[in-house]
Amino acid sequence: MTDYAIEARDVAVTYADGTRAVRGVDLLVERGEFVGFLGPNGAGKTTMIKTLVTLLRPTGGSVTVNGFDTVADPRSVRATVGYMAQETSVDPELTARENLRFACDAYGVARSRRDDRIAELLELVELTDVADKVADDFSGGMKKRLDAATALVHRPPLVFLDEPTTGLDPAARNRLWAYFRRINDEGTTVFLTTQYLEEADQLCDRLSVIQNGAVVAEGTPDELKRRVGGEILAVELADTDESEQAVSIAREEGLFADGAVIEPSESGIAVTARDARARGTDLLVALRDAGIGVVGFDVRAPTLDDVFLAVTGEPDGNASRAEHEREPTDDIRSGPVGAGGHDSSGADERTGNGVDR
Amino acid sequence: MSTPHVDRHGGSFASDVWVTFVRWTIKSVRNPFVLVVSLVQPIIFLVLFTQVFGGVATSALEGISYETYLVPAIVIQVALVAAATSGIGLVNDIENGMFEKTLVSPMNRSAVFLGKTLAEIVRIVVQVVIVLVLGVLLGAEIATGVVGAVAIVGICVLFSIWFTAFSNVLAVVTRDEESTIIGANLLQLPLLFVSSAFLPLPALPEWIRTVATVNPITYGVDAARAVMLGEDTMTIIEITRFDGMWNTLVPALAVLSGLALVFGSVAVYAIGRAASADVR
Repeated sequence: MTDYAIEARDVAVTYADGTRAVRGVDLLVERGEFVGFLGPNGAGKTTMIKTLVTLLRPTGGSVTVNGFDTVADPRSVRATVGYMAQETSVDPELTARENLRFACDAYGVARSRRDDRIAELLELVELTDVADKVADDFSGGMKKRLDAATALVHRPPLVFLDEPTTGLDPAARNRLWAYFRRINDEGTTVFLTTQYLEEADQLCDRLSVIQNGAVVAEGTPDELKRRVGGEILAVELADTDESEQAVSIAREEGLFADGAVIEPSESGIAVTARDARARGTDLLVALRDAGIGVVGFDVRAPTLDDVFLAVTGEPDGNASRAEHEREPTDDIRSGPVGAGGHDSSGADERTGNGVDR
Repeated sequence: MSTPHVDRHGGSFASDVWVTFVRWTIKSVRNPFVLVVSLVQPIIFLVLFTQVFGGVATSALEGISYETYLVPAIVIQVALVAAATSGIGLVNDIENGMFEKTLVSPMNRSAVFLGKTLAEIVRIVVQVVIVLVLGVLLGAEIATGVVGAVAIVGICVLFSIWFTAFSNVLAVVTRDEESTIIGANLLQLPLLFVSSAFLPLPALPEWIRTVATVNPITYGVDAARAVMLGEDTMTIIEITRFDGMWNTLVPALAVLSGLALVFGSVAVYAIGRAASADVR
């Protein structure tokens, strides 16, 4: 038997209309890892996750999940994984408790343990107070939490999360992150897809960057950020003619770690460095001492766009996105695609939180 | 390391049927609006038709009241309307993600399909019983008694299968609640009128008689009516091999079973395809 929770070799998924949503992806996930697929809309993330949970059959390659082949033995795969779809999936006419009871029965949680398990999960996702209200009355964040809880009823050793926080406000997102970290700490393997570098950074041990159905980069979040070169410090100067002088000062003072990229920008200078945040004030002081007027500055974490730029040399594959735009979810539901229209630029706002002071 | 194992209790075909049945039953009990609304139109038909056409129609009928003649048609209409809502449930499930959630669970898919259908059958039984009771209160007579009443309920259930299947096919093809409702409703009225439901076929124009021959409603209504009256009522196919009402019941039930099989197979195929999505 394999030691891997997920072992996917050369997986390809081609839709009936010819769209090659996944092309030759390899994925090895060890037990207990928290692994993520990071990529823009239409990159093939959802297709890949649906293939892993047996909702789609790979058109090429092989997939083994928890030691079971997804094509030969899909029911064993289904019994041993939890899956949270991109769009919230709860029965709006049932109460939170009834939704969980249905999930318990569907996954065969023993009757004797069922009520305790439901109480425990309601507690975990902080819905105990509203346990007997119908889910239709819940906010988006509450529904997501209930959805997450239903994916965990059977204590699956492996959980799949497809863009679990897309469309949620920061508070709801942070709560979900805490649950995911907790179940991973307890030994559950987690596979997540996301468009947000910050989310991947917060949660994942290891990441694959996926674009146009293929993995274009792999590594820990830190390794990927290092490929970007760290955080980005933008300094706005009163007189942009002084940009070159400011760049020289920043370089000569040796303020930033090795590998820092210091360049003039439209409004002043831009520094990409691992310690851009820590050493930013030193640069401001040095510039003031040199008599260069600073009118503003901003430190931001690298975004998915920055990673793509560093990895592929192009923003995020927008040019070729159209042909892959089709979300496989279209095949089995016609409802609004949650935050399907979300652009990865949303990540800018998020990672910028609390930085612009 | 060994292969991960999750204890799965129950997990039998029967328990998967039961789990699904419970979910759909909770939903229909919680949403009595659907139950009531789908009864309103047939009941209006029953009351209005007997009042408006009763006097005229009774003279066209031989020795029975129009109430007695009409009730079998109304119970079939009830089954038709109830069956139409089956697809709506499926569309809702697709839209709110529960369809996918079920597919990704280890439940047996046929059991899930059966559980939902059973919940709908229970609803049809309840509604048909309500209409039968109302009909008797209005003066209709069931010649075959209580056993006949139970048989009529059974005929309605058998009849509902083809239309249930049809509305589920509409659901997976359109994936849209409104289209599913409109599609099913659009068919319902013409089908009822172009059949033996409201008046004896010999009293209707030639073309309606022709269409009625291939209209499933005719077979459902004729079967229910044969039991209601305790006699052979079918005029589109003349069979005399059996005894009395069995000359209607045997061919009608055969046709209804055949329809259930054909439409049911198409629905199972369509839902199966929707479940596996469009991968080459």
